[in-house]
Amino acid sequence: MNAPVAARARPAPEVVAELVGRLAAQYGDRAITNTSVREQHGHGEGMADAALPDVVVYPTSNEEVAAIVRLCHAARVPVIAFGVGTSLEGHVAALYGGVCLDLSRMDRVLEVNADDLDCRVQAGVTREQLNADLKGTGLFFPIDPGANATLGGMAATRASGTNAVRYGTMRENVLGLTVVTADGRVIRTGGRARKSSAGYDLTRLFVGSEGTLAIITEIQLRLYGVPESIAAAVCQFPDLGSATHTVIAAMQMGIPVARIEILDDVQMDACIRYSKLEGYAAKPTLFFEFHGTSAGVEEQSELMQQITAEHGGSDFRWARAPEERSKLWKARHNAYYAALALAPGKQAFATDACVPISRLADCLLETRADVEHEQMIAPIVGHVGDGNFHLVLLFDPNDPADRAKAEGIAARVASRAIAMGGTCTGEHGIGIHKLEALVAEHGEAVDLMRTIKRALDPLDILNPGKTVPMTARD
Amino acid sequence: MLDPHVQAQLAAILPPAALLTAAEDTRPYECDGLTLYRERPAAVVLPDTEGQVVQILELCHLARVPVVARGAGTSLSGGALPHAEGVVLSLAKFRRILAIDTLTRTAVVQPGVRNLAISEAAAPHGLYYAPDPSSQIACSIGGNVAENAGGVHCLKYGLTVHNVRRVRGVLITGEVVEFGADALDAPGYDLLALITGSEGLLAVITEVTVKLCPKPQHAQVALAAFDDVEKAGAAVAAIISAGIIPAGLEMMDQAATRAVEQFVHADYPLDAAAVLLVESDGTTEEVADEMADIRRVLTEAGATEIRVSKDESQRLLLWSGRKAAFPAVGRISPDYYCIDGTIPRRALARVLRKTAEWSAEFGLPCANVFHAGDGNLHPLILFDANVPGETEKTIAFGDRILELCIEVGGTVTGEHGVGVEKLSAMCVQFAPAELERFHGIKAAFDTYGLLNPGKAVPTLARCGEFGKKHVHFGALPHPELPRF
Repeated sequence: MNAPVAARARPAPEVVAELVGRLAAQYGDRAITNTSVREQHGHGEGMADAALPDVVVYPTSNEEVAAIVRLCHAARVPVIAFGVGTSLEGHVAALYGGVCLDLSRMDRVLEVNADDLDCRVQAGVTREQLNADLKGTGLFFPIDPGANATLGGMAATRASGTNAVRYGTMRENVLGLTVVTADGRVIRTGGRARKSSAGYDLTRLFVGSEGTLAIITEIQLRLYGVPESIAAAVCQFPDLGSATHTVIAAMQMGIPVARIEILDDVQMDACIRYSKLEGYAAKPTLFFEFHGTSAGVEEQSELMQQITAEHGGSDFRWARAPEERSKLWKARHNAYYAALALAPGKQAFATDACVPISRLADCLLETRADVEHEQMIAPIVGHVGDGNFHLVLLFDPNDPADRAKAEGIAARVASRAIAMGGTCTGEHGIGIHKLEALVAEHGEAVDLMRTIKRALDPLDILNPGKTVPMTARD
Repeated sequence: MLDPHVQAQLAAILPPAALLTAAEDTRPYECDGLTLYRERPAAVVLPDTEGQVVQILELCHLARVPVVARGAGTSLSGGALPHAEGVVLSLAKFRRILAIDTLTRTAVVQPGVRNLAISEAAAPHGLYYAPDPSSQIACSIGGNVAENAGGVHCLKYGLTVHNVRRVRGVLITGEVVEFGADALDAPGYDLLALITGSEGLLAVITEVTVKLCPKPQHAQVALAAFDDVEKAGAAVAAIISAGIIPAGLEMMDQAATRAVEQFVHADYPLDAAAVLLVESDGTTEEVADEMADIRRVLTEAGATEIRVSKDESQRLLLWSGRKAAFPAVGRISPDYYCIDGTIPRRALARVLRKTAEWSAEFGLPCANVFHAGDGNLHPLILFDANVPGETEKTIAFGDRILELCIEVGGTVTGEHGVGVEKLSAMCVQFAPAELERFHGIKAAFDTYGLLNPGKAVPTLARCGEFGKKHVHFGALPHPELPRF
């Protein structure tokens, strides 16, 4: 099982041309080859690694996706699923050209089952669209990675987000899938039933497989009742260590906080300027959100205030009204853009590490020291309740030395996290940027992943070059 | 019979008492909790180190000898049924709790550790392991992972797959692999989820890191009586759709409560057609709030009586009836057959009605206990294997219930696994395209199919034959409904 597999080659131009011709004949103006559309589909929001697909097709049904994949399968041409392109790790770059399947027109909410607390959506539905659709039902879908990503993309990358502490990640919230396999067959995995111990867990295997094992076209999602009461609060700290230890203490006590976000002084400074937050200092800061019954929220926040006071935190600043809350979270969600605005002309890439909560303080403080040592601008922000944080590294794209410094820091964050029993991808996935780190972290298991990839996609047409290194790098 | 050469090599790996080949020594391993099926293995090995497991598997791989891993042997689907020419690899000696990390709230344990022993070890730290199959005093955590075991509290706290962080296992080739990570999310394919519920077909588990939960400050259970089974089913749906996720939501019908009452005297209302047990846990205030909501919903749903536990001893007494349901039914009937199917909650009333109709048609009483909150049914069909024809009737009745589960969009097993018991039912639930994927995954881990052969996933040939014998399976009713 350790046999190396040759790196995939680009399909021959005449094969691609013939396939593009067939797609154009079949799908008309839904099969687009003009450069600007292809460029737009060649990258996500991460570092610029654009690799253009040969054609972008907009299917509208499972059957169309299956038919396109069958054509690609017959011609051995790569096929890459695309949602709205918010990925940060180069997941959608068409490294070997091929067909980009833009699923944004598969945007229907197929069913909402209030009694069973679940719903079924097409892959192109975005999370904001779903929640707008659910308005009035008393239900909501909690996973919130910041970007208004499609649910198909979130499932494919096993997205998490600001409230994973309470609601889990996509792993816990996808009940079933409809997928198109590499040979163009439609299968349904999982389903309406809340539990099953029948067969291997294909649902979770496909969740997080980044389009390399199958193309997700429909998702059955778990929904939650809108909490009776929601309150958000901000608390500021003299230093990063005391903010982090507050989080650790809260998690240890098992306070069911819906969200805890950390922003270091640099990030807080950026957010204050970018989002015009008033009355805050550029100090390490925690954002909290509490969900529950009124009494429950009251109790959780009292406990939390005791802990923050013990760690030298300021008094809570409350945001109880929905518009105040959304201003606060909007500032948090715009952290990446706020960081970019700190140094106009620079580019940013965000690392994504996750460590066991007991090692969080060590990992954050060592990372901070590394950044200071290298004299870089790199704010820290994170969903620290589950040990997940991001370092947003700002570097000058025209200065190779600056870029190398940034990459060095990022590599050290990954190896530091792994050495502490953590992982180099808390929620952004592997894509093309973290293939090496995956090998470092998983060792033998990577062989198994490779064998599974070969078993489910023997021709290597599904998003080739991503997620699992198929060449023998190790 | 084991090849003498293989036997000699096994003997060289293991201390003398850890290799059993004589009939009287291997007989205790001939079946698990599903006693309908029995097979004596060629040998039983009882290693006590991971190094020995690696050597045993390497040897069996080279010699092409089937290996069936076994924990406590409490499987209800024949997951640990031996292979006549194979080796049973018992993990009974792996029973150490290696570490408890109170900060990260995890425990690292060996696979032979009993489910309840983890909670007992974590108790001094105010923590516990949430999944609680009814067999928790006996069943082992390795088996729980292999079967993705559930339990009464899974509605709120999730199944085994939601409560395991990391699993260390040995492949049939002898390679040691870590699945998952100590941190929240491991990158790459979710092999941890793949291993969980794989019924010993992919790897032999040698170490498990489980999540621990803080013990809730307070818990209360409400017992609600209903004069009609369908009303009770509707009450379950009403609770969930009111946005309440109780810590436990269990239902028992009259046949079950009557059996239980004679056994544990839990003071259940015997005139009720069905009772619900609804548990709330959390801080005192949260429980008080949630209990008030639960009471309101139950009243609106037509409960004829609602009792809420006043203290811990009352709470445990009310639960004792539910937890003792299987042995209680065992006392009133010579034999019983436990069915395990899961359905979308909304179909509960319909499935219960049909079950009652078929019970009358077959002339076999059926006691219903189930994890109603997540739609996991355990109808217990009462029969007497000594009455000619009753066993066959029982199996036919059970098959009908499972077919109905699939028809309404459910699955043929909620928490007991497929094992040997439900291989044919898998042909109904899964289409060939899905079964081919399963076989591809199996082959990726175990090229020669040596780990637990003949379990969990049927061959396509078997499904082909099964389809021929049972023509009505070929054409599924309601093809538009989601399967499983």
